[in-house]
Amino acid sequence: MIYHRPQSIDEALALKSSLGQRARFIAGGTDLVVGIRKGRTTVDSFVDLSRVPGLAGLTRAGDTLRIGAACTHAQLEREGITALAQACETVGGPQIRNMGTLGGQVGTASPAGDVSVALIALDAVVELASVRGTRSMPLADFFVGPGRTSLEPDEMVLSVTVPTNRKSVFYKIGKRDAVAISVVVAAASVSPSGDVAVGLGCVAPVPFRPRKSEQMLRGHPLTSERIDAAAAMAASEVSPISDHRGGATYRRAMVETLTRRLLRTLADTPYEGLLSVAMSHS
Amino acid sequence: MSESNALHPERVAMTLVLNGHSVSVEVDPRETLFDTLRERLRATGTKGACLGGECGSCTILLDGEPVTACLVMALQADGRAVDTVEGLAEGEQLSALQAAFVQAGAVQCGYCTPGLLVAATALLRKNPKPTEQDVRRGLAGNLCRCTGYGKIIEAVLNASQQGDAQGTQKSALRGKR
Ligand SMILES: Cc1cc2nc3c(=O)[nH]c(=O)nc-3n(C[C@H](O)[C@H](O)[C@H](O)COP(=O)(O)OP(=O)(O)OC[C@H]3O[C@@H](n4cnc5c(N)ncnc54)[C@H](O)[C@@H]3O)c2cc1C
Repeated sequence: MIYHRPQSIDEALALKSSLGQRARFIAGGTDLVVGIRKGRTTVDSFVDLSRVPGLAGLTRAGDTLRIGAACTHAQLEREGITALAQACETVGGPQIRNMGTLGGQVGTASPAGDVSVALIALDAVVELASVRGTRSMPLADFFVGPGRTSLEPDEMVLSVTVPTNRKSVFYKIGKRDAVAISVVVAAASVSPSGDVAVGLGCVAPVPFRPRKSEQMLRGHPLTSERIDAAAAMAASEVSPISDHRGGATYRRAMVETLTRRLLRTLADTPYEGLLSVAMSHS
Repeated sequence: MSESNALHPERVAMTLVLNGHSVSVEVDPRETLFDTLRERLRATGTKGACLGGECGSCTILLDGEPVTACLVMALQADGRAVDTVEGLAEGEQLSALQAAFVQAGAVQCGYCTPGLLVAATALLRKNPKPTEQDVRRGLAGNLCRCTGYGKIIEAVLNASQQGDAQGTQKSALRGKR
């Protein structure tokens, strides 16, 4: 059989385990179907996750939000927390946001994944599952290269968990306001104890955290001088390429600009202002 | 997809509620809903240009939500409601939105029109009194290379005001009797 529609997470995992590498999970299809049509991806069989009960839930517990892999961008645009909701709002157009999911976004592991950038900037933890059990890791470590992840052939992304008590912001530079792959994308967050995390997209082989820059900010107030120094450090840590969307020099410059801008926003905005969904388009 | 699969064609029966009518169809499990609609069900109102989710020409409603049919696998729609441009008019009676498109001259070559009508129908159902910004944002997933969008946005806003004048949301979508 080519197309499998498991009715539970366990059934999906059992299928993937027995079918192996060339059986592919499909959720929204917004990356996979495009890949197949362009001849980039060969699929022997599909394991459809789009309607598996229990895979699209959002659960709040304490200071965390657990997001099921099958949650769509449209759902997170409404119900996610600040930087995450902002990122989801910029993905594609309404149609793509109704289809595309969190699990597909991190599964694709694009260095330009807007939602992935917001998630690593929130210090997200990804939960992986297989018939052998579950394991978790920081999402930033899950990405190992363009299109490459730490997933074993029998594993699935089950959920991503983010803290809800961090202030966060997101900014995307694209060629147009909708249906545009980012040229540079950035997000940043700060924990109640003052730990800063920064996520950068389109400037490294993976959604990237500039660790040295983050280290410079640890345990210090976000003064203007320190922010400038950290932004310059972030620009020195990235390894952008030049392509038809933007040059490496431009991208590096934008890393500095966006990092500075986001950190300033974090420093200047009262705590509550950056905890709830910042924008709404109803 | 792989050649071995191509040599072993497989057919799977599915049903969908297409514009309010239950239909059964046998599909190749590797085809998209776009192909099922056009090639098997002859619902050719749904257009395809980029076939990569970027242009919105193939926008349909899946359980009421706008999606690009070119990226939906046929079997993902099994058992679900699919609404296409063919379902907007009642017989010869255009929906208020369709009439507003005609009235405003929002159609030039017409290729993007079905997708835009479906996307705008979804927008007005969710938000019967959209601002211009809401309309722009709601239609951001649909490309039109002729009109420059001005008249399309005008048409959607006109339809929403007409719905207002008639006092019901449904009339904004279905036109007056
Ligand atoms: C027109 C267009 C515009 C877009 N714009 C943007 C944009 O602005 N920003 C952006 O970031 N992205 C954008 N994208 C990319 C895309 O929408 C996202 O990456 C989306 O989140 C993918 O999710 P999906 O459910 O559609 O994935 P699918 O296509 O179903 O799957 C993608 C990959 O992930 C795997 N996968 C899916 N679910 C799981 C799981 N639970 N566990 C393990 N593996 C899994 C699949 O096997 C496949 O390899 C765009 C895509 C299109 C077509």
